[in-house]
Amino acid sequence: MLELKNVFTGYGDIDIIKDISLNIGEGTNLCILGPNGCGKTTLLKAIAGILPIRGDILIDGISIKDMKRHEIAGKIAVMSQISNIYFSYTVFETVMLGRYLYMKNSIFKEPSQNDKAYVEKCLKATGLSSIRNKQIDTLSGGQLQRVFLARTLAQDPNIILLDEPTNHLDLRYQKELIDYLKEWSKEDRHAVIGVFHDINLAMDLADQVLVMEKGKAVSLGKPEEVIKDHTLNRVYEMDIVGYMVDSLEQWKKF
Amino acid sequence: MKTSIKVIISIVFCFFIIILGVGIGSVNIPPSHILKILWSNILNRPLPVDIEANFVSIIWKIRLPRAILAFIVGGALAVSGSVMQSVLKNPLASSYTLGVSSGASVGAGLVMITGFSIPILGKFTLPFVGLLAGLLTVYLAIRFSAKIDKNMENNTIILVGMVFSLFINAMITLMTALSRENLQKLTFWQMGSFSLKEWSDVVVLFPIVVLCITILMKYSKELDIMTFGEEQAMAIGVDTKRVKWILLGLSAALTGSAIAFVGVIGFIDLISPHVVRKIFGASHKLVIPMSMIFGGAFMVVCDLIARTIIPLSELPVGAVTAIIGAPFFGYVYFSRRKVE
Repeated sequence: MLELKNVFTGYGDIDIIKDISLNIGEGTNLCILGPNGCGKTTLLKAIAGILPIRGDILIDGISIKDMKRHEIAGKIAVMSQISNIYFSYTVFETVMLGRYLYMKNSIFKEPSQNDKAYVEKCLKATGLSSIRNKQIDTLSGGQLQRVFLARTLAQDPNIILLDEPTNHLDLRYQKELIDYLKEWSKEDRHAVIGVFHDINLAMDLADQVLVMEKGKAVSLGKPEEVIKDHTLNRVYEMDIVGYMVDSLEQWKKF
Repeated sequence: MKTSIKVIISIVFCFFIIILGVGIGSVNIPPSHILKILWSNILNRPLPVDIEANFVSIIWKIRLPRAILAFIVGGALAVSGSVMQSVLKNPLASSYTLGVSSGASVGAGLVMITGFSIPILGKFTLPFVGLLAGLLTVYLAIRFSAKIDKNMENNTIILVGMVFSLFINAMITLMTALSRENLQKLTFWQMGSFSLKEWSDVVVLFPIVVLCITILMKYSKELDIMTFGEEQAMAIGVDTKRVKWILLGLSAALTGSAIAFVGVIGFIDLISPHVVRKIFGASHKLVIPMSMIFGGAFMVVCDLIARTIIPLSELPVGAVTAIIGAPFFGYVYFSRRKVE
């Protein structure tokens, strides 16, 4: 479904990502872990076709270099980190922007009944139906995060890229998001690739984990394999498993 | 209130402003007379007997073309400003951010100083050269931005635009200093005026503005998406580099053609889009046409003030837009921040 072949990318002449190769099949939930500055977000941008690459990225066997912007967006959607909002739209309008690809052919890009129905479905799936007419600059960080998730879903992609998607969410919504993504990726020809700081959440979602260090892939495998090979301990420079076990012991006291 | 009702009220308000702009002056003409004159001229009907003949000349030959030109120029600047703000993701960007006014001023200044005239264009030589120089400046600014930053990041474009503006402004200062006999003409051109404008100006400018705004309307969805940032726009499927060239080019064409006819007029482009977003929301499907209406109406009011506030004298309209616009913008911007 998605194949990275010896990918190098970065900003200007400096390579941040160095020689990463991997294969992502249908139904995969790949979580990317690694310390700050190791190139996780840069890798996501390369996969989304936002950054120029050396090497190659193939989507369903076609090189990303041969695909037009809208063709890539039809296959891959990105849920970005929350950035400043300069001009405020309603929740419905913002999610509708995810249907851009499907409105491209009409002269003034008016949404069809089909587009409206699809957006309603995405609003419902993310629990936003009741605030569909609210301005997005009045929302909490968690609500806004869900709006961006709904917009990503509205794109109807095969692969969703998530960059620290749980940052602004409280525990309940974190769990709901992870459960939702697990369900979503089970559907035909779907896959999820996410960057996480929270290792617990990553392990909950992932069936594949990629550990990165200084722009390179240092471990790739099932979550239990990656934990067992102690790569996480090395890249984070701490005893991750020990820390988790200690935390669990604390919780057990209650 | 429903959006459709707000739109209807805005159109009626705009019509009312134009009637006011046409009716008030050294001779005040009541709205009923204005409507009768318009009616008889447009439909080629005989003039009602109760209307003085000199009213027809005042309305049809002097004030109406002036008010309509002011409306078109104000609308063009406001739409251009709204596009610049959205594309550059900067609420303080204006239609002049890329140096179009500086370039146009150099072009117009050269025509004024040399007295150069293209025979086929006649009196339109000045706006033509001004427009070309303005567009050339923007083209060079964007090309230069693309050369030093392949992704054409907004900050690069804004900074390059500023550098170009400052550099070209220095050339204007030099031109003014070296050609003292044209000092007054050059200075007044840079403050804008609708004085002595005719239907021929309207006939040339109108189609350019309508064409640019129609194409911009076609890109309203891309404009909406680009306000969330370039990377998000790319991820949604917008070819940001191509679209940015088109939008900035059209925006520069709007500003360049408007100021080429009447000189540099500030603030309309900055404040009108903010007022419109406050009333109609941020969707460009409405922001673009409503900016045209509000910017146009605001310009007609400013021109009315410029030519009537001091009897038998006329102020530069650019000074009036700034005097009204600056505190008004402060009020709109800071009241919004207070609410947030």
